[in-house]
Amino acid sequence: MAGWWLRPLLRLGAAATLPLVVPALVAAVVWALPGDPAEIICPRSTCTGGAELAARWRLDAGPWAFYQAWLGDALGGEFGRSWRVLQGVPVAELLTEAVPNTLVLVGAAGLLVTLAGLGGLTGALGARAEALARAVGVAPAVLLGLLAAASIELRYGADAFGPDAASWRLVAGVAVLVLADGAFGGALAGARAATAAERAARYVGVAVLRGEAPLDNMLPNLAPALVGQLRARLVQLLSGAVVVEVVLRLDGVGDLLWTGTLLQDFGVVIAAATVFAVFSAVLLAAQAVAELIIGGVVRRVPEGLAS
Amino acid sequence: MTAPFRPIRAWLVGVAAVASLLLTGAQLSFYEESLPGTLNPLYAQSMVDFRAQELVFDRIFYHDPVDNQIVSRVVERSELAEGGKAYRVTLKDGLRWHDGKAVGAADLCFTVEAMLDPKTPSRIAQGYRTVLAGCEVESERVALVMFTRVFHNPKERLGFALLPKGAFTGTAIAPDTDFSVHPIGSGPYKGGKGKRGVTFEAYANGHHAARVNQLSLQEGGDPIVQVNTLKQKSAQGIVAVAPPLRPDVSAADDLQLKSYDLRSWWFIAVNTKRPALADKRVRQALDRTLDRTELRTLTIGVKPGEQNSPCEFISGPFVQSSPFYNRAVPTRDKSDRATASRLLTEAGYKLVGGLWQHNGQPVKLNIGMLAPLDKEAPELLQQISNQLGAGGFDRVETRISVDDWNRRVVTGQATEFDLLVGKWSFGVVEEVNQLFETRTGAKGAFNIFGYSSPEADAAVAAYNAARTDTAAADAYHKLHAVLADQLPYLFLWKLDTKSAWRTEVRGNTISPYFYWTEVDGWTFGG
Repeated sequence: MAGWWLRPLLRLGAAATLPLVVPALVAAVVWALPGDPAEIICPRSTCTGGAELAARWRLDAGPWAFYQAWLGDALGGEFGRSWRVLQGVPVAELLTEAVPNTLVLVGAAGLLVTLAGLGGLTGALGARAEALARAVGVAPAVLLGLLAAASIELRYGADAFGPDAASWRLVAGVAVLVLADGAFGGALAGARAATAAERAARYVGVAVLRGEAPLDNMLPNLAPALVGQLRARLVQLLSGAVVVEVVLRLDGVGDLLWTGTLLQDFGVVIAAATVFAVFSAVLLAAQAVAELIIGGVVRRVPEGLAS
Repeated sequence: MTAPFRPIRAWLVGVAAVASLLLTGAQLSFYEESLPGTLNPLYAQSMVDFRAQELVFDRIFYHDPVDNQIVSRVVERSELAEGGKAYRVTLKDGLRWHDGKAVGAADLCFTVEAMLDPKTPSRIAQGYRTVLAGCEVESERVALVMFTRVFHNPKERLGFALLPKGAFTGTAIAPDTDFSVHPIGSGPYKGGKGKRGVTFEAYANGHHAARVNQLSLQEGGDPIVQVNTLKQKSAQGIVAVAPPLRPDVSAADDLQLKSYDLRSWWFIAVNTKRPALADKRVRQALDRTLDRTELRTLTIGVKPGEQNSPCEFISGPFVQSSPFYNRAVPTRDKSDRATASRLLTEAGYKLVGGLWQHNGQPVKLNIGMLAPLDKEAPELLQQISNQLGAGGFDRVETRISVDDWNRRVVTGQATEFDLLVGKWSFGVVEEVNQLFETRTGAKGAFNIFGYSSPEADAAVAAYNAARTDTAAADAYHKLHAVLADQLPYLFLWKLDTKSAWRTEVRGNTISPYFYWTEVDGWTFGG
């Protein structure tokens, strides 16, 4: 198993480059798409000032210049102003509002999904719970989200964006994110399957015969797979959060990304996409660190043995 | 007003504001078609923008919705100057911006200069660049606004919103500033735009005393949900109710339908540059292929013979109630396939296998439609396509987003289309020059397919040269007749816009086009 550290190091490398690569890709896509966002405000054929606007939005010097300038500002905490989503509002202000909402949404859903995994790991949640969770998980997030959004709209009417309704939106969002698209069922099934496979290993049988708890023996071997599963589930929840935020009209990063894309507000799009890239990078880095720690512990020379 | 009285006046205004809050203190919530894109009047692009901005800003002059006279809340007196090429405007004393500063002639001239600044990337400003030439501050409250030429209706040319000089660093005004979401106006309400709605707080001023303390604009989602919410008292109004839901609103005792005179007319623009459509006879044949009566029945739900129909056919680019509408030009309500066939045959078309061919090639019409029209007339694009298909034309349909419409269609770049279904909306000034005059320089800015006709240009020139309302109407009557003959547009109808308001909302006069011009008289609760 020489070179076991290679994979975590690769993950760390990917985590470091992801927040740089994603805005570059967004910049490339912006230039590949037809049309010029400045033209929506002021078509150059019928309106003067369009060139100044394009220069103000750095759309006049090509994708590389746009990317460089954006990155330079972003590193200094300056993300510019929204072109169209909430015209004139600093993008940093939009992100400050959106990031906590998304973190709460994904965090709460992630906690429940983690509990599902722990239930599967410890055997607290069995085959019946798995079957039920899988059956519920067949429903897509869009469908459950629309049902929740309609019921909130009908109940709160014009106050559908008031504080009371906002709390319900968040609760509904977490519920949809956990239940839909097999997130909960998948976590439970994944943990149960991994545990079952490991439990069948000979060393576990030997441990049981020695009177030891199987989980204590399995955990060091299972941990890397479980950490990988957890990261995959959280990434799934992050993707799902975009759908849930859009359908339930929650003010999160996913909703910003979607609205920004629809309105060609690329200042918002590039920032929101980068936030998602940072989230993914953090998860990758966390997985890598966990793998390194586990690897270090597992490969430690047991006490009493000569190296 | 002399300086010593100003504190007393400010105190009285404050007392009035508190009193109005205590007397009504209510929040009135209503649904709009969408959220406004901006609250900066220079960057209004949709009717929602115009309506929302009317709550926050004063326009120099506006049409009184009751008697149609041109009046002003901010102008004390005004007079023509420099042989009609300028207008001297004296602003009222005591006008205040929402930040408490005084409104003065410098603000008026700043607004003019901002619009004239070529670095202000605004289509609205661009429109005024052909009208305004400059502005001079003559004293604290007196400004001289210069025109590019003599107009027969100079006051109507000063219908722009007044901007505060102090809120900007220069006359080149960008769209993406804080002013777009937290504007400073002098209108009845102080507006603040959020991501999910807009709130308007009443601001007592010398010339405004709104009696509803707060307005809350929400984005209308599903139309049925909107009506149900209104019935449940969770909202008080819907600005535009879709025609199919109007009977439901009418049937409710505590809701009232109110007319909103938007002067909108619907059309199918024809690409006269396409070889297959360049011949006038082909356009006439298309016009006769359409059965407008059937179209409005199938899409808007107007029953045959229905009285007080919300949908009124038109034969030219004006609504029938307009003084510019030429009543001598008849509408074409039903199809006439026999005449259409004859015209196409005369134009050299041949019917092969049920499809018309031009120069041996089947004619395939690329039809586009402004997507939001579907809300008011569901399936209109499909029904038009079906009728043209039944008339022997192959076709392909596309829905066009609002952004693409503004960016490509209005600017004359969507030349890949043969037919474009759209809608124009006007205020009391129904000026259509930009739609039909030949596109050159600042002229013909909204000429969708680059239609060019010496007769139409001559009629537009006659309108521009008119010094009286009668001469202007005569010129547009002529234009109407020319367009009905040459058919760069197939004119469809004017579709009434109706609002729904709960009966607890009283005094709710709805002004044409800008909607909220008389909002000071609205009451609710209390």
